[in-house]
Amino acid sequence: MPIFDLPPDRMTEDLVERTMYARDLAPVPEIMTRSFFQTLPDAIVRPANATQVADVIRQAASLQLPVTPRAAGSTSYYNAVPVRGGLVLDVNSLRYDISLDTARQTVRVLPGTTWFELDDTLRRQGAAVRSYPSSAIAATVGGWVSTQGHGIGSLQYGAIADQLVSLQVVLPTGELRELTRNSDPPLSWFVAAEGTLGVITTVELGVRPRPAAESHHLFSFDDLDALGTGVQSLSHSQPRPYTVFFADAGYLALLERAGFHAPGARRQEAGGPPPASRLLSPASYPAGMLMVSFQGEPAAVNQGRDGLARLPGRELPSELALEEWSLRLYHLRNKRGGPSLLATDIWLPLRNLAAYLAGVRKLAVRSRQQIGSYGLAITPEWGQVMSIYPTDERRTAAYLAAIGFTKRLHDLGAHYGGRPYGVGLWNTPYLSRLFSRTDLRELRRRKALLDPHGIMNPGKLYAAPFPLWPVTFAPAATALSLAHTTFLRGERRSP
Amino acid sequence: MSDSTFFQGLDAETTICAHCGFCRAVCPTYAGVGWESCSPRGRVHLTQLMLSGTPVSSEQMTRLFQCTVCSACTQVCPTRIDLRQFWLAARAEATRRNLAPPGLGLAQANVANTGNVYGYPNDERAGWAEYMDDAPADLYQRETAEVLYFVGCSTAFSPRVQPIAESLVRLMSAAEVDFTILGGDEVCCGFPLQVAGMPDRFHDVVESNLAQVRAREASTIVFNCPACRLMWQEEYARHLPGVRMLHATELLAELSAAGRLPLNELNQTVTYHDPCDLARNGGVYEAPRQLLAAIPGLKLIESHERRERGMCCGGGGDMEMVDPALSQRVATTTVDKLAATGAGTIITACPQCVRTLSRGAERSAPGVAVLDIVELLARALT
Repeated sequence: MPIFDLPPDRMTEDLVERTMYARDLAPVPEIMTRSFFQTLPDAIVRPANATQVADVIRQAASLQLPVTPRAAGSTSYYNAVPVRGGLVLDVNSLRYDISLDTARQTVRVLPGTTWFELDDTLRRQGAAVRSYPSSAIAATVGGWVSTQGHGIGSLQYGAIADQLVSLQVVLPTGELRELTRNSDPPLSWFVAAEGTLGVITTVELGVRPRPAAESHHLFSFDDLDALGTGVQSLSHSQPRPYTVFFADAGYLALLERAGFHAPGARRQEAGGPPPASRLLSPASYPAGMLMVSFQGEPAAVNQGRDGLARLPGRELPSELALEEWSLRLYHLRNKRGGPSLLATDIWLPLRNLAAYLAGVRKLAVRSRQQIGSYGLAITPEWGQVMSIYPTDERRTAAYLAAIGFTKRLHDLGAHYGGRPYGVGLWNTPYLSRLFSRTDLRELRRRKALLDPHGIMNPGKLYAAPFPLWPVTFAPAATALSLAHTTFLRGERRSP
Repeated sequence: MSDSTFFQGLDAETTICAHCGFCRAVCPTYAGVGWESCSPRGRVHLTQLMLSGTPVSSEQMTRLFQCTVCSACTQVCPTRIDLRQFWLAARAEATRRNLAPPGLGLAQANVANTGNVYGYPNDERAGWAEYMDDAPADLYQRETAEVLYFVGCSTAFSPRVQPIAESLVRLMSAAEVDFTILGGDEVCCGFPLQVAGMPDRFHDVVESNLAQVRAREASTIVFNCPACRLMWQEEYARHLPGVRMLHATELLAELSAAGRLPLNELNQTVTYHDPCDLARNGGVYEAPRQLLAAIPGLKLIESHERRERGMCCGGGGDMEMVDPALSQRVATTTVDKLAATGAGTIITACPQCVRTLSRGAERSAPGVAVLDIVELLARALT
């Protein structure tokens, strides 16, 4: 590995250190990674500023060395895990330098700053971020721009793409550029590009005044149709809610499996874990729950709250709503019931939300796999839905089969008009669901134009590498899924 | 976030860890080092490698010990891992496999050979009392007493923080508390060995201290060191049913509330630093603030990073022994934040915090003083 023009403490080839950059949230058995991909980077670099980023990229380009930019590494599709070795470029040292322009209601910030840190700083200055990911404590500003950028607050304020004013990026040539909506290339090319077109080194985005008022409400529903109707009507309502969160009975059951309180559960035990029979029986829980939050001027918040009287469902006590709001960044607590958790994260038309959730419930019963679903309304028409199921990665064969089961859920989502949220490596088999041929052709054109040697985060986003070609992936995943459900049925039958 | 935390053993928790990185964002030593291996999730990953038998060197495992055990990570962990318990168990496992940093062996040898972590003659534990002009002839060492003041190694031997002991005995004397110290009969509480991953090495010191406490017939043990208090609550309390174990701020707040601590006006502006072992790990947030509020004329400016979000001083978890430079980097960052309040004095309630923050202030905020709350109260004593 060449020595880059960096201070010694900003580059390492230490094997143990490198293994930490060869994974993200999703633990994937080596048979699926090292057999086909070089997920272990050759070195990690940790530039301190944009100039150092540019220097590294320039040198990497001259050597045609793959570079995988990485911030929090808090996604689960290997978006920031190399698949062809090379360098991992850790951008976390580009953190803070938060500069608020109160008059323009914009902020400039370094990309390694987390959303929580940015919002925390802005609130002390009378402003707030418009939206943020549900992983805001870890997720960085640059990382969210590089992925899909929908989350809490998107319903009211739109996606991160709508909020961007400018980006400073290092192109694959090492050139440092300021991009705007009208520059060539425009900043929009870098949104959801997953670090395949360059490295973001500064972000300028719109902010909002710190909300003068907020109000949070929690409802439970006895049937999924009512939940679906409630989510849809709130998503179209005026004033527009800041966020609408929903979850099904399976999610509530998983919460209790993990040792936490499930809001709205019909029977509350005095103590100790709930019986296993209850955990497997969604009948012990309401069909679904919904949390709606209004933020902004007091009059608008009051108006939103008054409109809730028309919502089907039973409103739960305000302290439960407040607690649920305080837990909005902690859905991963479900993992304690795993100990591993697998998931599909999809875009779904909200008009099909109830049907999808009912489909998941049927699939759960049929396959004897406990599944919980939750998500957010992110536009008036679309939701982001995560369906999660517990497993145990320590039982490698069973875990591998369980991974195959994600295809069942993706297929179910597709049946209801859904598509995967994010691409990375593992969702490349679904590219035809994610993009039209025209859109994909355009994305590939941009890639070829800006990164002709393909050094930036190769193997992601634009094409499925072997063995993820749809013709090889589909039968393999289907067979694994079949093995998983066969195994589960056998396990449930055994005493 | 829920207060419930869990620890089901290293194997289970390394699997439960979501590797989400919430912990990384709040970790003071990750901020000081910048490599993933020095983040809490990186340390969990290291532990997983160690448990799986993957070859790791003691140099690589040092990351596990470049941690102040401040529990900021536990505070935000979405899978609710009790990471303090995790670090202690992981360090013990690393030590068992001879993967601990060599410097920690010296601490263990010192405790075993002398009864204190510094390796000083243990008879000099009450040396600070000898320096006092107004100390009684018995140097506060009585056969029995209602309250036993466990001074701790740092306060007993470190010149920078010995005034804390002097101040506390003056305050207790003024409030007419029936108290005693153990002098040379006190030995290290075992905390440095606990965080060094040597749980099998502090049995003797626990037994020795227990015998001394029983002999003094004390119903309350008071500590100015939060780490000592934590150690006693975790490892001694079950052997001393009915005995209260209080931090000095808790005892003094009780005395103040009972009107037994008359305080003069102090016209100065201070900020307060929550020690990790007293606040996040020990659950004491209010007592120090009640005491500061009881000083007439004193103005408290709270830092944004306070209470559960309090920053670490850099001195916990044996960090000074493992990586003193990193300890200082953490201290400097914390001092910068505290000094940004505009207060001229940083008040804390822990001898280790006083030591590390004082050194940090010397470097980055020379005009800012660092004092233990007990020292401040003694200055206000009528």
